Amino acid sequence: MARPTSNGLVQAMQSLRLHSPLPQRSCLSSLRHHSRTYATETETQAQPDSTPDMPVQAAPEIDFSTNFIRSPARIIPASPSYFSGNPRFVDHVLNLESLQARYASLPILPAGDAPRMAWFKLKQFREYVGEQVPVKKYKSLIKILQRLNRIQPDMIPGEVRSVLDSFLRPGNPYAIKHAPPEVDENGKARAKGKRKESTAVVQLVEGEGEIIVNGKSLVEAFPRVHDRESALWALRSTQRMDKYNAWVTVRGGGVTGQTEAVTLAIARALMVHEPGLKPVLRRAGVITVDARRVERKKPGHVKARKMPAWVKR
Amino acid sequence: MIVRRFGVRHSRQLLALSRRSPISSRFLSTEAPITTQAEATVESTNPLHEVVQATQNPKSLAQKQFRKEEQQRNKFNKLGSSVTESHDPEGILRNPPRPSDITLELLLAAGTHLGHSTSRWNPQNSRYIFGIREGVHIISLDVTAAYLRRAAKVVEEVAARGGIILFAGTRKGQKRSIVRAAELAGGYHIFERWIPGSLTNGQQILGHCETKVVNALDEELPEFKADLADRSSIKPDLVVCLNPLENVVLLHECGLNNVPTIGIIDTDADPTRVTYPIPANDDSLRGTNLIAGILGRAGEAGQKRRLEMAREGRTLYKPITATELRLDPFTGQTAQTAGGEQAKEQSAPQTKRE
Repeated sequence: MARPTSNGLVQAMQSLRLHSPLPQRSCLSSLRHHSRTYATETETQAQPDSTPDMPVQAAPEIDFSTNFIRSPARIIPASPSYFSGNPRFVDHVLNLESLQARYASLPILPAGDAPRMAWFKLKQFREYVGEQVPVKKYKSLIKILQRLNRIQPDMIPGEVRSVLDSFLRPGNPYAIKHAPPEVDENGKARAKGKRKESTAVVQLVEGEGEIIVNGKSLVEAFPRVHDRESALWALRSTQRMDKYNAWVTVRGGGVTGQTEAVTLAIARALMVHEPGLKPVLRRAGVITVDARRVERKKPGHVKARKMPAWVKR
Repeated sequence: MIVRRFGVRHSRQLLALSRRSPISSRFLSTEAPITTQAEATVESTNPLHEVVQATQNPKSLAQKQFRKEEQQRNKFNKLGSSVTESHDPEGILRNPPRPSDITLELLLAAGTHLGHSTSRWNPQNSRYIFGIREGVHIISLDVTAAYLRRAAKVVEEVAARGGIILFAGTRKGQKRSIVRAAELAGGYHIFERWIPGSLTNGQQILGHCETKVVNALDEELPEFKADLADRSSIKPDLVVCLNPLENVVLLHECGLNNVPTIGIIDTDADPTRVTYPIPANDDSLRGTNLIAGILGRAGEAGQKRRLEMAREGRTLYKPITATELRLDPFTGQTAQTAGGEQAKEQSAPQTKRE
């Protein structure tokens, strides 16, 4: 073991202490002064220093009676976090953290129950602060905001409320409530549906079961029986085939996509006429949106996921 | 059953009941039950006071619940034994000791004497080391105290001369003490990574950060705002570093720019990296909090002195003049747009002086 014996080291230390110019002397003498008056000591030192080498007197040049208040003295940073490189952001974080610490004992809602707030997106936040804030730091700030937002809404202090509001996007997108669709004065219910690349718009009126798709009859639009079945599945499963007329416009995509877009649109329009059918339609699986789209092709792959065959050499 | 009922009156939980059952209240007092007034509200400095006030006439269930808990807390906080002479970790942050309060006991309690394992030592620190215990170097506390007092004095004098003091502590957990020290000393703080080049390449890195012109009483003078454009970034006049080991770049830049530095030097650190070393343990947060607090208090005293002098119309430093501000930072000549005759008048005595 290369560990030095404690005795040898202590001896070395003691010899060092004895022979080196030690700060201990000054320390001991300074300890002897029980009450230390910094101010007077430096005053006496400072004045002889300033007089001999600099004949400049700062005092007479300044007109104390009028100008002293208005004359500049120093250039200093505007924020205590100047040297961090993004002072405004750091000041915001410190302010929020102090709020969080101050109101930590207030009762909070469970994580999911807090009112949904539209905080600044990263880009907007950077504009608001005026600094290039890294993503990670932005996320940590949003975390503090979320925590403050979890305070019981009827107990949240005004101070916190105003600070939280300053981080909100203008125009709360979550406050907009869409009016539920209704049947118009002509008895028409209008609804849209999408599947794959297709979009269908359906106008549903009470009638005898006539369906027009893009100005053609259903049989002309969808020659396959299976397609026709699935397009009208919402009406078929609820036994409303002969109770409604539909005028359908469907664009884009292939036959399957168009058919299932029509299914969704008809189901939604039917729900406008008869909201009570919702559970039935749900079980029939016609109001579930299929959000799948074609996966993009990747470089190095033949298709989205297919890899080229392995070739020796 | 009877026994259980009897036991109820002894239990602490009884007090917690907001509505006392008639049987227990009969046990508790010999007097006839009377309806009492609502409890008087106590004025407090608690930041929650506003909230508590708002819940005096609670409307919602949550407010009622909060008020009930608050009342119970008030009731129970007075119970139990009172603990004295205990360590309050918040106390060192909230009310740090002054440089005149430095004692060896205080330093010992904060664990500033504990160095590193002997194998990791830097022999340049041998003069600060008292001895070895269980394979660990022990820093001699009288030296620590002396160096800490010296550093406090440096901070105080720099503050009294209107210097810019930067407190740097980039280790985890040092943030609060650094911010508090900067707040006390009227200084500046950095608790995340020091951006290399902030001093040597300041215009690029700190150029966009806002600065201001103040008078001797620290009031902002907005009329000089236009003169601040194209000025080089501000450099600190003193840097206090709580972890010199991780901030080699910062200290190197300070050396290049002739900025004096104060640093906590553990037994494995290089004491020549800083101008004013404080030999102490830099790994214990309690120790670094204490040292940061003391230096913050020293800065506070310096700032107080400076403002007092300024109120009498004196400064310990040479204030920047309006003429100097209006000079073009690149050419060193008076800007055409700014000042006019006033600037010329003020520049006259300066040329004489030179």
